[in-house]
Amino acid sequence: MLTTMKTGESNTIGLVVGECAAAKRLSDMGFVRGARLTMIRPGAPCIVRVDGSLLALGGAYQNRIRFEHPVV
Amino acid sequence: MLHPTPTVRLALIGNPNTGKTTLFNACTGMRQRSANYPGVTVEIHSGRLQKGPQSRHIELLDLPGSYTLSARSADEAFVLEAMLSIRPELRLDGVICVVDASNLARNLFLVSQVLDLHIPTVVALTMVDVAKCSGAAVNASALSRELGVPVIEVNPRTGLGLDQLATAMLELPTQSTDSHAAPAPPLQLGLQAQRLASMFVQFEGRPAMQRAAAVHSILNPDTAMERLLLDGLDESVRTAVVLSRSCLTDADLSISSMEAAYRYAWIDRIVARVLARTPKQRKSRSEAVDRLLTHPILGLIPLTVLMAVCFQAVFSWSAPFMDVIDGSIAGLGNFLGRFLPQGALRSLAVDGAVAGVGAVLVFLPQIIVLFFFIAVIEDCGYLARAVVLLDRWMERIGLSGRAFLPLLSSFACAVPGILSTRVMETRRDRLVTMLIAPLMSCSARLPVYVLFISAFVPDRRILGGLFSLQGATLWAMYSIGAVVAIPVAWLLKRTMLRGESPSLLLELPTYKWPSLRTILVRVYLQGREFITSAGTVIFAVTVLIWALGYYPRPASVGVEFDRQRSALPALSHASTPVEIQLRDAQIAAISAHESGAYLRQSFLGRFGGWVEPLVKPLGWDWRIGTAVIASFPAREVVIATMGTIYNLGAETDATSDSLRSALQAASWPDGKKIFTLPVALSVMVFFALCCQCGATLAAIYRESGSWIWPALTFTYMTTLAYVAAWATYETGLWLLGGA
Repeated sequence: MLTTMKTGESNTIGLVVGECAAAKRLSDMGFVRGARLTMIRPGAPCIVRVDGSLLALGGAYQNRIRFEHPVV
Repeated sequence: MLHPTPTVRLALIGNPNTGKTTLFNACTGMRQRSANYPGVTVEIHSGRLQKGPQSRHIELLDLPGSYTLSARSADEAFVLEAMLSIRPELRLDGVICVVDASNLARNLFLVSQVLDLHIPTVVALTMVDVAKCSGAAVNASALSRELGVPVIEVNPRTGLGLDQLATAMLELPTQSTDSHAAPAPPLQLGLQAQRLASMFVQFEGRPAMQRAAAVHSILNPDTAMERLLLDGLDESVRTAVVLSRSCLTDADLSISSMEAAYRYAWIDRIVARVLARTPKQRKSRSEAVDRLLTHPILGLIPLTVLMAVCFQAVFSWSAPFMDVIDGSIAGLGNFLGRFLPQGALRSLAVDGAVAGVGAVLVFLPQIIVLFFFIAVIEDCGYLARAVVLLDRWMERIGLSGRAFLPLLSSFACAVPGILSTRVMETRRDRLVTMLIAPLMSCSARLPVYVLFISAFVPDRRILGGLFSLQGATLWAMYSIGAVVAIPVAWLLKRTMLRGESPSLLLELPTYKWPSLRTILVRVYLQGREFITSAGTVIFAVTVLIWALGYYPRPASVGVEFDRQRSALPALSHASTPVEIQLRDAQIAAISAHESGAYLRQSFLGRFGGWVEPLVKPLGWDWRIGTAVIASFPAREVVIATMGTIYNLGAETDATSDSLRSALQAASWPDGKKIFTLPVALSVMVFFALCCQCGATLAAIYRESGSWIWPALTFTYMTTLAYVAAWATYETGLWLLGGA
């Protein structure tokens, strides 16, 4: 889960789920299967790095991102 | 002009933070204007290309930055409209896609959507140097082969590639779109789109656009994009689109991630062929700076310091310039006064037009300084961080961090603040922000605070000499609007404008040195817009107020004062300078009383008489009431109105000693002073909260497209102002005993 990631941790995005318009925006901006995501600053909004760009994600977007290999 | 109408219209399109506007400025220079199209509320700039003689044919539009054509905000919907040439008056002959080389994959997403439409396209590759620094080298000619369109490396700051780009732009209208490469949609989606394509009759004769319209309408349920594409079409088209969606979901395909999946798969293959990476894992300086600046708690310190510096600058840097403007306007008034004959025309020119428009122009330096600051913090990349920092606080009152910029701008003037709500995604959030923006203490309120504080608040040090009581009062007046805005927004979000705020999704651009040119162009354009509005709306309002305060002029008033004047002892050749001075003063005093008497007889003065019972509970007399009523169209006229009403000439400004002492001396018929501290505070609180600005209401009307919202803004703010002014007066009386 994105919400439990700590600063510096990385994971590979597997799936973007949920309400269509928000999920579509995330996907269009590069949150796609196989993209590498690194947590820069956890929180709400959190700051992540995806393919070279820094993005701030509010709480509602954070729950939409599922990883390929969820850490338990 | 040789070519009065451009024959070719091109548009710049690209992700935010790609240097698109810098490129636009480099191409057009200062020869640009806000493009106004009927029904379009989005601010777009248009300009003529300035490269060589033939380029004058070319009109260039700077479209708002967007990541995708799947529109959600008003800004993005406009980009989509332009790309699909939905408005015949806005038909594009070609597009320049601005692509950030340091973020190639994500930028190519939008490019791939544009290529689908078969519009003549050229790619302008920016930030190649930034990409190199991070170890990524983009091969422009390889990219051009892959995309099937010209790719030109540009650097708007150094001028690199601009001539080449201009040549490419000139060739754009004749470009064949057959070479354009674009990713094919997955089989299922392609079949559905093929079935629907011909139903999009508005794109008749443009098969590529019909196919794209079919794909986008299937993939974007309940969005601005869907509304735009299905607008005006038969209901059966919607039914067919819905059916196509269920066919896809039945086949276990995800509507929301399908487009990203097939486009990014295509993009990844291209990127692998055109991008050479050298492993260079250096921690960027940007990241180190961000460790402090985006820290949820520590980050608030630099933000507060920055805002404090910004406000300080708005008020102190601009002071000398304001004095110059003030002086020139007084000079112009005197000059006209000497040349025009006594009477209505002179009064209209001097007291109406010059004094009224001058009262507004005087704020130009403050607005320029504030916009300079906003342009700097936006261009260097800090603004996005401030939005992130404030988001968690704004969320508690139901707003998103995106409301920060509109609200910050509103401290200079609510009008640009309201216009900048266009970046917000939902209409509800835009409306809430527009409705509370006028509560921020704009610079037009400052003269009122300055006048009343300097006249009635004792010049004392408080808290052990740390602060001055006057400074603290000014600070309190500035905070009151912002503090009141919190419960107002909270209430609006829970009643009329209920609904989930979209969560924040914002790119944080790499920090960079701001480009002086970009900043100056922005400040220049915004300053120009302010002057234009001062020259039109405010001018009209001022003339109206002047007429109401000037007419009717019963002859009896003039007769009475002529009698007083002739009763003065005549001057002889032997009169001493002291005698002459005394007589001049007496004549001036009589004339001042005369203009006061005329005002009381005027429509405005009579109206003041009617409102007196209404303003009595606030501790005001008819004169304050009249001045306040007169300032409803534009609050900055209150000083000039008070100057006239309190028996002075119209040349009065906030720091003028004469108005200050006239206010201090003003008394009720029974001899008691009108202005006590509670009354002064009650007037200031009223001004802090009241919506006395026609331009703001007009902007809200324009942006919301309905009279309901400006009417609501006016009603709630005026009610709030009245109640708060009354409460202030009563509390003041209770605490200070009316002293």
